[in-house]
Amino acid sequence: MNERLLAETFVELADNLVADFDLIDFLRLLSDRCVSLLGTSAAGVLFADRDGALRVMAASDEQVRLLELFQLQNDEGPCLECFHTGTAVAAPELAAEAGRWPRFTAQAALHGFGAVQALPMRLRDETVGALNLFRTTPGPFDPVSTSIAQALADVATISLLQQRSTQRGHALNEQLQTALNSRVLIEQAKGKLAERQGIDMEQAFTALRRYARAHNRRLADVARDFINDTEALTELTL
Amino acid sequence: MTLVAEQAAQRGARVDLRDVCTAAVAALPVGGAGISAMSTSVANYPLCSTDGTSEQLEELQLTLGEGPCVDAFTGSVPILTPDMADSELQDSWPVFATEALTLGAVAIFALPLQIGAISPGVLDLYASKPGPLGAEDLADALAFADLATLILLDSVHGGPAGMPDNKEEETGYALEANGYRAEIDQATGILTVQLGVGIDEAFVRLRAHAFTHGHRITHVAADVVAHRLRFRPDAEPYRTDQDR
Repeated sequence: MNERLLAETFVELADNLVADFDLIDFLRLLSDRCVSLLGTSAAGVLFADRDGALRVMAASDEQVRLLELFQLQNDEGPCLECFHTGTAVAAPELAAEAGRWPRFTAQAALHGFGAVQALPMRLRDETVGALNLFRTTPGPFDPVSTSIAQALADVATISLLQQRSTQRGHALNEQLQTALNSRVLIEQAKGKLAERQGIDMEQAFTALRRYARAHNRRLADVARDFINDTEALTELTL
Repeated sequence: MTLVAEQAAQRGARVDLRDVCTAAVAALPVGGAGISAMSTSVANYPLCSTDGTSEQLEELQLTLGEGPCVDAFTGSVPILTPDMADSELQDSWPVFATEALTLGAVAIFALPLQIGAISPGVLDLYASKPGPLGAEDLADALAFADLATLILLDSVHGGPAGMPDNKEEETGYALEANGYRAEIDQATGILTVQLGVGIDEAFVRLRAHAFTHGHRITHVAADVVAHRLRFRPDAEPYRTDQDR
């Protein structure tokens, strides 16, 4: 573990948790840092909606195939177990879990993943979601990395609360609702931009995010205005 | 959501917004419910209400341009007001807060009808006693709002007759048994370009295609995202993987 990188990551995350921060942009940053810091191949943050379905809020890669692997875990997989038990679930040898999660392990193997971890996002006695980490190489998880991963999951939980405190009197449920709707907006905008420009979903997300940052606007607001044709995304860089 | 279907069955008609409002009042600790069509481009108007108070609450808010319904629409967020007598509200809604109390609406819960950028209106619920909606009641209220969203969209954009809007688990958006799918939203965005229509209509066309062909909407959406299925403005969608 590179201690300097670790320190820099937490300083960077704390710096980004300022008033009026952008939740989706922040969670993408957190997912990216999971990859660079923990040596994982892919990471995703999932929140549970009001029906208890896990929904991807951010991922280190916006490609459809990775999102599908997160979504599949609403039927079976480490995230589902982690969310239901409120405790971390680790599968260091994914191939050995075929009996436990047949569909999930098959899909994960197709993507070249050999190990997976799910860390709970807990708020007091409630589990609000999970941080999901994928690694290509199988093998045991380093305990130090695991506690750092849990700390990152806790930061993701805090970001949801932080978002709440910037809006007067909104309960967690409403906050989640807003966050989930923001994510829907971004998916709709990704689809429109990808189709219009002939680019893939990750490129569309990155372009929208870069544009929002350059114009100091929330990703969800840019997405909404783009869909409603009130934001032409001029000077968009792909 | 069987309550909603029962309401429609009692009237011997297709499920409509009134059924959603009536069912919401039966299921939740509220005295009345109303739905208004909201838009940034054309005038807002009340669509239905379960009683006189609800009707007046809708009309007041739309006329005054203030109130929980207006804030829920502009902010795209539920506005839950457990006590309208809260003095802070006099600043937010100086006229409406007083008028609502006079009408006996002591608590008002306004839920935007929305799926991302699709936001055709607001569901307003009022109670004659102060107090918050419990977590389960709020979850139910949000489910009623989701159902109302689909029904309103279909009625405005002409979803196919017989669309099973009371059986969302079959072809629907929100209540997919296996959870939310991002591809539905991505496909909706893609269809705005392929069809040259707004996001509301794109979503209705996606659902309608799934329904008329007896496919799950998630499968149709996945085909659209993977470029296996293309929609065209003046013709049936065509599959690109059957030409080979």
